Amino acid sequence: MLTKSAAKAFFLGGTVICAAAFVFLTVDTIAQFPDRSHEENMTPEVIHGFEIWTENNCMGCHTLMGEGAYYAPELTQVFRRRGEAWMTEFLKDPQAFYPNRRKMVQYDFYDAKKVGKEEAAKNIADTIAFFNWVGDIDLNGFTGDPNNGPEQDIEKAAAKAAAPTAAASASVDQLATLRSLNAVCAGCHTIGGGALVGPDLAGVANRFDAKYLTKWIQEPSTIKADTTMPNLGLGDAQVKELVDFLLTLK
Amino acid sequence: MKYKSQKIAWYFFAACMGLFLLQLVYGFIMGFAHMGMDGLHDIIPFNAASATHKNLLVVWLLAGFMGAAYWIIPEESGRELWSIKLAWVQLASLLLVGVTAVIGFHLNWWEGRKFLEIPRELDFLVVVNVLAFLFNLLMTIWKGKRITTTASVLFFGLLSAALLYLPGMITFDNIVFDSFFRWWVVHLWVEGVWELIMGAIMSYLLIKLTGVDREVIEKWLYIIVGFTFLSGILGTGHHYYYTGAPGYWLMIGGIFSALEPLAFLGMAMYAIAMARKGGRKHPNKIALTWTIGCAVMSFVGAGFLGFAHTLPSVNMYTHGTLITGMHGHMAFWGAYAMLILAMIAYVLPQVTGRKRYTDWKAEWAFWTSNIGMTGMVGAFAVMGVVQVYLERKGGMDFLEVQEQLHVHAAGLVIAAALFTMGIVLFFMNFCSYGMPNDETLGQED
Ligand code: HEM
Ligand code: HEM
Ligand SMILES: [Fe+2]
Repeated sequence: MLTKSAAKAFFLGGTVICAAAFVFLTVDTIAQFPDRSHEENMTPEVIHGFEIWTENNCMGCHTLMGEGAYYAPELTQVFRRRGEAWMTEFLKDPQAFYPNRRKMVQYDFYDAKKVGKEEAAKNIADTIAFFNWVGDIDLNGFTGDPNNGPEQDIEKAAAKAAAPTAAASASVDQLATLRSLNAVCAGCHTIGGGALVGPDLAGVANRFDAKYLTKWIQEPSTIKADTTMPNLGLGDAQVKELVDFLLTLK
Repeated sequence: MKYKSQKIAWYFFAACMGLFLLQLVYGFIMGFAHMGMDGLHDIIPFNAASATHKNLLVVWLLAGFMGAAYWIIPEESGRELWSIKLAWVQLASLLLVGVTAVIGFHLNWWEGRKFLEIPRELDFLVVVNVLAFLFNLLMTIWKGKRITTTASVLFFGLLSAALLYLPGMITFDNIVFDSFFRWWVVHLWVEGVWELIMGAIMSYLLIKLTGVDREVIEKWLYIIVGFTFLSGILGTGHHYYYTGAPGYWLMIGGIFSALEPLAFLGMAMYAIAMARKGGRKHPNKIALTWTIGCAVMSFVGAGFLGFAHTLPSVNMYTHGTLITGMHGHMAFWGAYAMLILAMIAYVLPQVTGRKRYTDWKAEWAFWTSNIGMTGMVGAFAVMGVVQVYLERKGGMDFLEVQEQLHVHAAGLVIAAALFTMGIVLFFMNFCSYGMPNDETLGQED
């Protein structure tokens, strides 16, 4: 039978060999990190975004690269999924986007009224820059998010809408604007996919006219005081383009 | 109780009880939030509750290890503790750091690093505290009559746990580095050096409770901790699959972490075999129940449920879902929480001088908490599997899936209520023994 000293030798030997292998692999891994994480794109904005991420323990609700808590959405690919426009609007007032659902903390440093317009805008932009950078890290294929719904939605809807009506044959430029706006709207609406936070917009042109839609987008609460749709603060040109598009949804 | 200074262990255990109960309060806050009842959101948002729940767990387990060490080391070394004063200072400062950290979490003073949310400033205090603790043990061992295997494995485990805390204190501005070294602490603790501590405490308990020869038990201790490090060190790779590290970790982490359950299986088989073999009928049956329970449940939680999501092809889907929560609960409960409770159950009659070994409260505490925890883990499992299928495979939106899970979260809370009843019974039993005294002083158990 095995003696105690043989057992001890097994313990010490195994530990030393495995620890040595682990240290060796660590050295190699660390050497690869700058490339795999695209450190060349780590601007001061990205680093500031990461500081915001850790200082406020966002990981206490969300996961990022699959790590954190399981109360709020996985954010590794959030930039690809939502885009800059949607995220900018969302961070200003997170609870407005998902009323009566799980709440995100409303941070002062994203609130123009609390820290000033410039400061809030910078904090939001840096947070988004951080997510954009994280999305590019080589995670051996992990995205945590097979659902790229909103983006596919606009392609389909734009194709469908543009086809039958000559008026709506949007230029490539226009389509790009629409696509960036769509990322904002699709957080709450679908076109033919059923109601989410807001109503399904299929056939919206049959229900409202240009004047009403313009007013609604510019200032939702003047039409319906208790609406959950936020004022997106869009420029007149953007609103017009958007309304033109909505009027094709018959 | 052989030495007067061993009494200090009781005070550490009392601290454990308080912190543990507080941990459960925060568990309920999160359980209700998962049901959609987040009324406390404005005062205690989910991230504050989760940081508190996890850190109180770590702090009470550490306090438990310290109490256990202050009990075991003097006895194994054959002398009084080197400095009882230092032990008191150390207990007080540990509690101070813990309470300060928890208050800080409610005031947005923390770091977003799961399990290590305690801010860097306090980390330094933790280090000083642990150094004082280790120094006290070392002096006791040094000046003692003998150095046993159990004592040296325990000390080596505690020392390595302290050293491994250091990589977690480095600051990085690249999240990939930050995450990589966070696992040096979290993984190498629970699947490495804490298992050494567990093996040593378990050996001590088995020697006392079963009467099997020390040489036999300590031989197996070496084999088991040998398996732990053989698999657990490179098994760290199961956290490096999808967090920015190179692809070779998929294979290395997959193979070695898949072997980790062997160490837990070994521990369970060893505990059961020793209990059967032992000729000694120790009157403290409930302590033996907790000891065997710990060995078995750690295999279920860490070994079986850990294996369930450790292969890279599975982890691709389960990574970052409630499946991890399922495993985390049973693993921490089985391996470490039950270990401390076993130690408390063993120490209690001696340190208070009451030769009362079983009681309905003690028995019910064991069964109610274990059945409750099994129910909780079942609820987490259902939530996790549904989440994986609807969200990761089906592509449904995160929040919509979570709404489907409200009913299962209610199941979690009900099971947690049962679990909590068990822990409250344990606490009532603990209190009913009264304060520590010198009645059994000098008696070898
Ligand atoms: C009243 C009993 C308890 C309840 C209701 C409860 C509930 C919860 C909830 C809801 C979470 C958060 C999951 C998420 O991130 O969304 C959590 C996390 C956690 N709890 Fe508990 N818990 C309880 C007791 C315990 C006990 C006794 C332990 C350890 C022995 C424990 C260890 C943990 C750990 C390690 C995590 C982090 C898990 C992970 O993120 O993978 N909990 N708990
Ligand atoms: C007593 C020992 C153990 C404890 C206390 C424990 C606890 C935990 C906890 C709390 C987590 C969540 C960590 C986080 O996300 O920050 C985790 C993750 C994990 N554990 Fe364990 N564990 C133990 C043993 C094991 C074993 C033996 C295995 C494998 C057989 C294993 C496999 C895993 C895997 C694969 C993950 C990553 C899950 C993910 O991708 O999100 N664990 N463990
Ligand atoms: Fe691990």
